[in-house]
Amino acid sequence: MPFETLPLEPVELTAEQAEVMAQRQLKKHHVAIILLHWFNATVWLLELATGAGLIASSYFRFAPDWYLEILTSIFGSRANMLRFHISLGVTWIVVFAVYGIFGFRTYLEMEVLQREIALDRDDWRWLRIRLLRMLKRTAEALAPQGIYNAGQKLFAVMIYCMIPVIMATGVIMAFHLFGMAAVRWSIVVHFLAVGVVVSGLIVHVYMGAVFPEEKPAFFSMITGMVNELYAYRHHFKWWKEVKMQEREWERAFETGQPPAPAAPAAEPPLAVQPPARAASIFRSRDYWPPYVAGAGLGLTLLATFIVMGQGLGASGGFTRYLVAVIASFAPGYAAAHPYWSNYYQPGQSPLLDFLVFELIGAAIGGFVSGWLSGRLRVSVDKGPRISNRTRYALALGGGILTGIGARLARGCTSGLALSGGAVLSAGAFAFMMAVFAAGFAGAYLMRRYWL
Amino acid sequence: MARYAMVIDLHKCVGCQACTMACNSEWEVPAGYARTRVRFAGPEGAFPNLVASPYVAQCNHCDNPPCVKACPTGATYQTDEGIVVIDRALCIGCGFCVEACPYSARFLNPVINKVDKCDFCSARLEKDLQPACVATCTAHAKFFGDLEDSGSDVFRLVYEQGARRNESPAAHPGPNVYYSGKKANVDLALAAFPPRPPRLLTQGRFWKGFVKPLVLGMVGATFLGQAVAFFQQLKKGEGQFDD
Repeated sequence: MPFETLPLEPVELTAEQAEVMAQRQLKKHHVAIILLHWFNATVWLLELATGAGLIASSYFRFAPDWYLEILTSIFGSRANMLRFHISLGVTWIVVFAVYGIFGFRTYLEMEVLQREIALDRDDWRWLRIRLLRMLKRTAEALAPQGIYNAGQKLFAVMIYCMIPVIMATGVIMAFHLFGMAAVRWSIVVHFLAVGVVVSGLIVHVYMGAVFPEEKPAFFSMITGMVNELYAYRHHFKWWKEVKMQEREWERAFETGQPPAPAAPAAEPPLAVQPPARAASIFRSRDYWPPYVAGAGLGLTLLATFIVMGQGLGASGGFTRYLVAVIASFAPGYAAAHPYWSNYYQPGQSPLLDFLVFELIGAAIGGFVSGWLSGRLRVSVDKGPRISNRTRYALALGGGILTGIGARLARGCTSGLALSGGAVLSAGAFAFMMAVFAAGFAGAYLMRRYWL
Repeated sequence: MARYAMVIDLHKCVGCQACTMACNSEWEVPAGYARTRVRFAGPEGAFPNLVASPYVAQCNHCDNPPCVKACPTGATYQTDEGIVVIDRALCIGCGFCVEACPYSARFLNPVINKVDKCDFCSARLEKDLQPACVATCTAHAKFFGDLEDSGSDVFRLVYEQGARRNESPAAHPGPNVYYSGKKANVDLALAAFPPRPPRLLTQGRFWKGFVKPLVLGMVGATFLGQAVAFFQQLKKGEGQFDD
């Protein structure tokens, strides 16, 4: 047990304490942030590489000839390179927008920004001491830091200012908005903002990938965990926060009282050591984390493209079931029908299609998944204020509307949004935006059936 | 390798704008804009010695095109045959080239929001057709051909009959559209529509004079700083950080 009482200031650890703390892990990053980080890193790498190659004129350019030649030969033509640069940039904006919209409270609310990226007095002191220590002018200990240190915060502030600029100027250039002068200024500002970020990025990459003291920070961007010793030594204020919270919960568990709101007690009493926290995101018998499931779905989609030569779909499969039923009663009618004849020729079963079997597989897969995680039961999922019968009626109505909509759009969320999106069909993106817009509006209108 | 050029006989030209219409319909140039257009100079002098002349304005496909240097993305480039073309897939519509062109031959096509101009009908040349304006010219005043082919009309007009380029001491990019006809006509037309010196817009000067050195300096300085830190780290060794 490293501490009887939590220290207010970082104190020298005994070897025994340090050893125990080095063994124990604290959760630092959510898996959503880890995925975003590496997505962002990949995008930056590719966008920087292609962006440098896009400035080609003798007057503006800074990349050497051989670099442009290599890039051109990779992409086939410079026009393809530009298309790639723009498509990836738009994807980047969409992903950030989704995170911003759905994670607004987690990442962007003022309180969060103040806690995570605004520099406080300790941070400025930390920067001063750090600088003096680099110049060998002082041996003073660094000021204690929160979840991110002052250097990381400075980088974050810079990023938060520059990323919107890069996105806006990029969109102006890509879609030729607001006239020629706006596009010209965008070229200059885009380059300047990227330059500012890159000079910070060099420090960021060095600190993360090379600097030995920050190695745990690098691995925390993969596992999400840091060891307690590192947290204690480099992010003392955050470590204390986590510990105090743990002790609050421990005490609540023992006394049966709900934990007091997070008013930081000066010296919280000692409690029993909490058990080490689960490191795996798959340990729980709950649903998969949506980001992992999303990546899995993407890989499944890729696999169907490779194996079957076509993407996933659902509504098309249902249409085939319907046509099969009709054709078994009235084959002549089905074959003459302007729409159903697309799926049925006499003598050939409409069920001989990948989508039909895929739907069967999806049902089996869902069953197996529920069974493996112990969620298998018969139930009607509904809001507390409505009867089962209302729920059935709503489900039927919603299903009919969805079916009509999917056929009007010539695809559903799987066939159009997912498979179409995977091949960058413009219709797919329009459909997705429409679905989300209608979904938000619909959810608001239907909220009293669920709350 | 061919070296394409155009010669316009200002004495034959009647200013009917058939070339303008042929070009606009061939290349779907929006109404109110034109890749080529007949303009008029004069009349000058005192009756009865009046001089007036049409002047055909279009891209001159210069030997040293200032627009190519000004294009940041390389969308504007010169082919091996001397034709200056725009790769629409690369053009972002910034308009640096519009201001750079001494002949005001470029404009922003408002339908596609990209820059547009004459390309000597490259797509027609590939099919062994004459440019649309040449094919349609009612007075047969426009000639198009290869300056390296001694049998061509343009060779004869340029090297034997002294057709002239529209150049001035301030702007001499080596245009490949030549003007022939009566000397008084050509003198008047070229004096009335002189090329202007190529212009580099503020943003371009800002880029070269400030932004590019600043960014390269910033990135270079942090990189050097980290390199120094890295070698110091190497010297110090890694053993003391075991956590």
